[in-house]
Amino acid sequence: MLRYTARQLAYMALTLIGVSFAVFVLNEYAPGDVARKLLGAYATQEQVEHLTRELGLDRPVLVRYLEYAGRLLSGDLGQSLTFKVPVAEILWDRLSNTFLLAAVAFAVIVPVAILFGVLAGVREGSLGDHLILIGANFISSLPEFATGVFLASIFAVWLGWLPGTSPMTTGGGWSVAAQLVLPVLVIALYDVGYLIAMVRVSMASVMRQPFVRTAVLKGMSRPKVILRHALRNALIAPFTAILLQVNYLVAGVVVVETVFAYPGFGRMMLQAAMAKDIAVVEAGTLVAVLIAMTTQLLGDLAYRLLDPRIRLGR
Amino acid sequence: MKDKDRHPYIGTLHEQLAAGRIDRREFLRTATLLGLSATAAYGAVGKVYGGSAAAQTAASAATKPKGGTLRIGMACQDLSTPHTYSWVESSNSARAVLDYLTVTGPDNVTRPSLVERWEPSADLKTWTLYLRRDVKWRKGRPFTADDVVWNLKHVLDPKVGSSTVGLMKGFMLDEFETDEVDPKTNNKKKSVRLWDANAIEKVDDHTVRLNGKSPQLAIPEQLYHYPLLILDPEEGGKFGVGSNGTGPFELVESTVGRKQVFKARPGYWGEGPYVDQLEYIDLGSDPAASMSAIASGQVDLLYGTDIRIAEAMEKLPNLAMHKVDTSYTATARMQPQKPFDDKRVRKALQYATDVNVVLKAAHRGLGMPGEHHHVAPIHPEYAKLPPVERDVAKAKALLAEAGYPNGIEVEFTCKTTPAWEPAAAQIMAEQWKEAGIRAKLTILPDTQYWEVWTKVPFGFTTWAHRPLGVLNYALAYRTGVPWNESKFSNAEFDRLLTEAEGTLDVDKRRLIMAKLEQIMLDEAPIVLPLYRAMFTFSNKKVVGFRMHPTAYINANEIAVAS
Repeated sequence: MLRYTARQLAYMALTLIGVSFAVFVLNEYAPGDVARKLLGAYATQEQVEHLTRELGLDRPVLVRYLEYAGRLLSGDLGQSLTFKVPVAEILWDRLSNTFLLAAVAFAVIVPVAILFGVLAGVREGSLGDHLILIGANFISSLPEFATGVFLASIFAVWLGWLPGTSPMTTGGGWSVAAQLVLPVLVIALYDVGYLIAMVRVSMASVMRQPFVRTAVLKGMSRPKVILRHALRNALIAPFTAILLQVNYLVAGVVVVETVFAYPGFGRMMLQAAMAKDIAVVEAGTLVAVLIAMTTQLLGDLAYRLLDPRIRLGR
Repeated sequence: MKDKDRHPYIGTLHEQLAAGRIDRREFLRTATLLGLSATAAYGAVGKVYGGSAAAQTAASAATKPKGGTLRIGMACQDLSTPHTYSWVESSNSARAVLDYLTVTGPDNVTRPSLVERWEPSADLKTWTLYLRRDVKWRKGRPFTADDVVWNLKHVLDPKVGSSTVGLMKGFMLDEFETDEVDPKTNNKKKSVRLWDANAIEKVDDHTVRLNGKSPQLAIPEQLYHYPLLILDPEEGGKFGVGSNGTGPFELVESTVGRKQVFKARPGYWGEGPYVDQLEYIDLGSDPAASMSAIASGQVDLLYGTDIRIAEAMEKLPNLAMHKVDTSYTATARMQPQKPFDDKRVRKALQYATDVNVVLKAAHRGLGMPGEHHHVAPIHPEYAKLPPVERDVAKAKALLAEAGYPNGIEVEFTCKTTPAWEPAAAQIMAEQWKEAGIRAKLTILPDTQYWEVWTKVPFGFTTWAHRPLGVLNYALAYRTGVPWNESKFSNAEFDRLLTEAEGTLDVDKRRLIMAKLEQIMLDEAPIVLPLYRAMFTFSNKKVVGFRMHPTAYINANEIAVAS
């Protein structure tokens, strides 16, 4: 297991190097001139050339990449062109906002998914199962931008119970907690349907296993059978799916962050990519890739702990 | 100001106003432009029209509520070097702390600000600026001529890289060859410097003189170019939290992309400020977020409102709409290459366009129908010509005459934002189809469009609001100028334009403009579908906000009712 982990970590390092180079080159060939993007439509050509020279963007891409990589290795993430602060500062600020959103959403999604998934799975084919399944499919098929605007029109514009955006500042008379409600709700609605379906399928298949039938036949009460025997086994398969949601919650909620003006990681990446702010795009991509690979590795390792029958590659 | 110091033209203006040949706005604009103080100008208007506009302003100032916080939804940009700003948003933020020498209002009239009054010479080459004597920097020092001289020299220094250089080049700067060689062209690099060592002259502690090399009517308007904020020289061109300023607020917090916070300063020399605190909050680029934020009271005012959500916003009961007619537009301009090398083809496009339909469908009727000569009804020298009505049969006939009886295939390039532009492009393309003009629409991301905007044969380009019609003509249609994207070249046009630029009398200038506009209609380098009204929304408790044609926000004038 140690050797497996070590090898995975080595792969991760190689992947990060490859990704960092690919992002740099792709960004270079993406349409649009950096200085023009930063300065906007009303800047004069002289201003654009001035800034291009100042930023050193008139030098070859490879030279700039090697310089960047060199600084990165010494722990310097560089300076953001759009936000005018060190990348580390803005990255950490936005990432911590997104972690907060992700954590609250995760705390809502996982219990709800397990509850409804189990309820549906234990009585496969029942009316309750059908209703839950239809409901889960319905909510997960609604795009986030639609639910976002819909819920904001109801709760913020019409009823006035909640703030319509979440800039996470305390001005405007709404607490930070109130500002989290709508974004969390939209993310949860979008994400929970898929997990309910995963838990349901797994639960249903466990319920068909001989050991469950044996437990029932030997006269064990139904709740006991489910909690003691079925649930742990039923959660092994959805566990990876649940862990993979961390990826989505951290790097994939750009739509929700934009609709609610939430100062998170996704919106930062979008803004940086639009402006070709390469230092932020690079650092953000590396963080996203790192999170993806770490959850994958954790998933593999946890899988083994949960189910001793699984052998990891030597 | 004594009568003998007055610019000789002011007397003529008085007569024209009294005779009703110019309206109140044009009188104010030209009279203040020529150095009559705003009070005197408003007084003169009062004599003719009865009542006093200045007194009305004073009365509304006395009744504005005081205190509270004003929150405005707007992009929070980097503010570190005001003289190189290229976005209006950053200038709005810094405008709370810093002042300009002059101010052009929502009515396109330029009034004094840090400059109390100005005096041009009869040949319009020398402009004397008299500074206010009651202005103090927030940190205590009095504001003097040295501050102004430093700022003007800094903003015109080519090493700083301000867009003011391009604007004032003709008046203040000479181009020269440096010793440095451009590796790409092997030519010596060009740079600019003040045309004369005495170009920016300190006369005394409260008087500065601009000694220009050519006549320039619009100096007061150029002094309100948005990067030309007056900074404390001690800060060396930098700006940030705690920076000194002569303006109504102090910047206390600034996070790019999130939030800026300002506190009112005591002892501001001008109007206001009424609120204790001013905040700009970055709501990102999604118009839905702006709407949600203002609907739930998180912001009181929006910097601008996307046309796509205007209808929904109008239905919200606690919001007020603010709008102003402008000369903001986009022009479908054609370069003289096949098939547009024949002016009958270009004219056919004008006949194939129904400007009223485009205005209604693409901009919800907010604005004025376009006229294909790029002088707007809000311009003082606008001359009304008979409109070009849609006439498909005529368009077809012109195409056939030009040798295209079966119509033409063209590529029409436009950009993504603002949203009305691709919408208008699509509607026009549909209209043209009926006349046999089959346009293939290419919609480019904005930054990509700005790389090719002077190069594509047929493109749809944004043109910002400018207070004078001659300014657009000088920038976009004079032979060989850098922004002449239609490659328009007409000797008679150039001659008349120069004549118009040197004609102070608006009546006379309007006569020349009528000829210029007619040349534009005859030669038809552009199709201009509409003039936009600029608009936004505020909470109804916001008092004193006026929508500016260029979206400038003067937070010192705005109050919030509790």
